[in-house]
Amino acid sequence: MKAIEFINVDRAFKDGDKTVKALQPTNFSIDRGQFVAIIGPSGSGKSTFLTIAGGLQAPSHGEVKINGQRFSTESEKKRSKIRLSEIGFILQASNLVPFLTIKQQLQLVDRVDKGKANREEILTLLEQLDIADLQNKYPGEISGGQRQRAAIARALYNDPTIILADEPTASLDTDKAYQVVEILAQETKRKNKATIMVTHDTRLIEYCDQVFEMKDGVLQEVQLTATT
Amino acid sequence: MFLAWNEIKYSKVRYLLIIGVLFLISYLVFFLTGLAYGLAQENRTAIDSWDADGIILPEEANGNFNMSLFSAEELDNIQADEKAILGQTPAVIEKDQEDSGEDRLDVRFLGIDTEQFLTPDVVEGRLVESDGEVVADISLKEENGLNLNDSITLVGGEQAFEIVGFMEDAKLSVAPVLYTTIEAFQEIRFGEPVSDDSELAISAIVVRSETDELDQITIDNDQLELIPIGDFINDLPGYNAQLLTFVFMISFLIVIAAIVIGIFIYVLTMQKVNIFGVMKAQGISSGYISKSVIAQTFLLSLIGVLVGLLATLGTALLLPAAVPFRSNELFLIVVSMLMIGIAILGALFSVRTIVKIDPLKAIS
Ligand SMILES: Nc1ncnc2c1ncn2[C@@H]1O[C@H](COP(=O)(O)OP(=O)(O)O)[C@@H](O)[C@H]1O
Ligand SMILES: [Mg+2]
Repeated sequence: MKAIEFINVDRAFKDGDKTVKALQPTNFSIDRGQFVAIIGPSGSGKSTFLTIAGGLQAPSHGEVKINGQRFSTESEKKRSKIRLSEIGFILQASNLVPFLTIKQQLQLVDRVDKGKANREEILTLLEQLDIADLQNKYPGEISGGQRQRAAIARALYNDPTIILADEPTASLDTDKAYQVVEILAQETKRKNKATIMVTHDTRLIEYCDQVFEMKDGVLQEVQLTATT
Repeated sequence: MFLAWNEIKYSKVRYLLIIGVLFLISYLVFFLTGLAYGLAQENRTAIDSWDADGIILPEEANGNFNMSLFSAEELDNIQADEKAILGQTPAVIEKDQEDSGEDRLDVRFLGIDTEQFLTPDVVEGRLVESDGEVVADISLKEENGLNLNDSITLVGGEQAFEIVGFMEDAKLSVAPVLYTTIEAFQEIRFGEPVSDDSELAISAIVVRSETDELDQITIDNDQLELIPIGDFINDLPGYNAQLLTFVFMISFLIVIAAIVIGIFIYVLTMQKVNIFGVMKAQGISSGYISKSVIAQTFLLSLIGVLVGLLATLGTALLLPAAVPFRSNELFLIVVSMLMIGIAILGALFSVRTIVKIDPLKAIS
């Protein structure tokens, strides 16, 4: 069973009387434990792809399935529920809630989705990401790299099937960017997640199992040449 | 509550300011309510203490017993479960010993027949037994320093009275009431006593009915009219105007409070559109976020109103006795709930905004 599956998905936007095809008809799927990168120039449709994967917008045609279940065709409310339990989003730098401490960011998930998460896990998870000593700090009090690790912790916390990361390293310097992607790769393997990362930094793809390139809405796999 | 409370803790100054505004508004509303209630009571407590159902006046008095005068013998023409004659006149009195003129007081004399039901409940001293005695409203003791056995004189007349008792809650048209006999009333009103009981003039006949209904009461004289006691109070000179002034001030204040709180919460919500959008992208429902905003408004207004309440009660202790402030649990509870309800109503305005936030916009 595929963690996420795109079946003939496309997306068009009306721009005046023209229609812009942001995403050409796409078939795509990945399994748990896979770390996939999507690269491509700005405006090529990467974010469109990722937000359709996360159910934040509906495809114009086709269907997205998660764990073999209907997803893109579900109601907004149902999608929101599935998103909460099955999808972890990691966005550019500032997507933590500014008025919650790192620990509280994770607790918030418990508040909304009672039952599934395991409270003792908070500390273990923060330790794994090496930010346990920051648990009572607010996002504004820690560095960009630490914030992204906190964001990864939050995405992982609810034990979702899929991790979607849109330019998670955009605001970081090279060293920090490498660290964050490394952690993402590690956690994908350790926790058996299906992770899709959008990035325009091609150096980061060395951690990925598969790389796709988006060009004018067309998604194509890039053959990785074994470099060491 | 989780989001609501943690955010308040994080942005202490911002939320303290909002609580401050809520506190000031509720303080003002509580205080005005207390003043309105106090002033209304000072117009009518004497009448309320009669526990009467109706009052009979000559039709030509037009519901105003300052203008009415008729024979006490009319009492026989009235059929009611209980009936009592009443003489009423404003007067100015002064303490006997002093002639400084500064201690002149505006009062209302009520002349009664002590055998009938208008007899006051004396809290200190005793009831009137002879024409030279009065039972006075306790405010004359608390605010004007009069005591039992003090002697008072009518300004512009020779009569002197001895205070033999005090009673609570005896004010009429904002003046303290002095109860005396109907005969003494004649003397105050006309300057001389009546020689014959058949000449006794009175201002009104007050009636009670066991069923609280007025239809069993009959009057055998079409010059007289029966006025329900509630209508009579509303027609007291100035009473309704004062009450309406306060009611309008308070209602406008509450409406303004709703708008101010609504705007605050709306501005705060607009500032958090992105944060809420990201939350929604993570699958946190609009419902949960809206509930948090409502809960936050509830917390803020609850704290503001409670502090306002404490400040009102504190101020009430410090107020000079002459300020007609009176609080009443029912009013305090109703105003508190109204303020909190209104605050939440203002916040509901922001729920629409929250529901409409597109997580897609927030994350791109
Ligand atoms: N809401 C929208 N309305 C109209 N056009 C859009 C919208 N979202 C994206 N597009 C267009 O779709 C194309 C792909 O955008 P996007 O997915 O954001 O690219 P990327 O993330 O690769 O930079 C762009 O040409 C963009 O202008
Ligand atoms: Mg993009």
